[in-house]
Amino acid sequence: MHRRGVGAGAIAKKKLAEAKYKERGTVLAEDQIVQMSKQLETFKSNLEEFASKHKQEIRKSSQFRVQFQEMCATIGVDPLASGKGFWSEMLGVGDFYYELGVQIIEVCLALKHRNGGLITLDELHHRVLKGRGKFAQDVSQDDLVRAIKKLKVMGNGFGMIPVGGSYLVQSVPAELNMDHTVVLQLAEKKGYVSVSEIRESLKWERERACHVLDHLLKEGLAWLDSQASGEPQYWLPALFSELTSLLSISDGGK
Amino acid sequence: MSFEWPWQYNFPPFFTLQPNVDTRQKQLAAWCSLALSYCRHHKLYTLGIMEVQECPVFNHKNIDRKLSTEAILIVFEELRKKGNLEWLDKNKTQCLVMWRRPEEWGKLIYQWVSRSAMVNSCNTFPPEFHGLEEWMLIRSLQALQTDGKAEVITMDDGKGVKFF
Repeated sequence: MHRRGVGAGAIAKKKLAEAKYKERGTVLAEDQIVQMSKQLETFKSNLEEFASKHKQEIRKSSQFRVQFQEMCATIGVDPLASGKGFWSEMLGVGDFYYELGVQIIEVCLALKHRNGGLITLDELHHRVLKGRGKFAQDVSQDDLVRAIKKLKVMGNGFGMIPVGGSYLVQSVPAELNMDHTVVLQLAEKKGYVSVSEIRESLKWERERACHVLDHLLKEGLAWLDSQASGEPQYWLPALFSELTSLLSISDGGK
Repeated sequence: MSFEWPWQYNFPPFFTLQPNVDTRQKQLAAWCSLALSYCRHHKLYTLGIMEVQECPVFNHKNIDRKLSTEAILIVFEELRKKGNLEWLDKNKTQCLVMWRRPEEWGKLIYQWVSRSAMVNSCNTFPPEFHGLEEWMLIRSLQALQTDGKAEVITMDDGKGVKFF
């Protein structure tokens, strides 16, 4: 009986054949690599062209930024995902939001003593624009929200609380749970809130309402007004509209 | 130039002594600052506790809020601790307000004297000294004296000052 391929000679032959295939495979891979790298070169130079054309726009136009972000989201890319790397370096997208983040932190720090670390998105927007001066680039609220989200990821104690169609930006790690948030939302309408209002609107027990209000006082987010008619009122400097309207007066506007 | 009220002045809780310690500290600091600027603006040097309660600073009629007497006294105590206020009587009904402390006045006087001495012209008090009451002037000169920059000399017909 003869069995094919068995025997020292056959094994050696097989090994040689395998080696040749391997070499071939390597050659093929190399080929692919050369092709790929050519494609990459083209891709890279196209992107560089795109970058140089649109870098200005990214810095200047908030509308362009929105569209750019949306486009990136569609293809599953987050240009802000890493501080370094192609997107931020090539296009300066990261730079823009990084710088904005720094500005936001500065504004919040400067006002913390006044509002306890809570500020409306409107006021933040106004102050950021003011800080950038007359010739500054356009910064939209969408930009702010993205920059704040980034700050939040970096663990800066930042958070956003939805109130009255916009947001309250929290810049201190004060513990605010659902109860606190809901009371803040209630207070947004008039800038202040009372125990009865909370009980009426939210159907809470008195103790629960007082607990929340005490916490807000403790965190420096609310001040007590005991001269209001009826019962004490709790006012939030962050929502004090007089303050924000003073801002527009001091700008010499209207 | 009209007086510029700080944002807190229109904030109703500003007139309630805050229960939270940190907030109260900020509140008192703001009150001290407001009281001193108001006195500086209107060139007030003495205050009587009775009139003070009706003063627009502590009684904001527009928003129907006023600082209680107890709170006013707390503010005044803060001012006293900082060297900006002195009680004239044990019952705390009248006080001196030094929106510029004697040392600060002394410095200004010394600067003015140095300037005028060099210029060698007829010396009239510049605007910042207008309304400076005598008791304050004397204290300022005493402060300078302590500093070794002046000497108050008693003469037959009154007091004189020598500057070094």
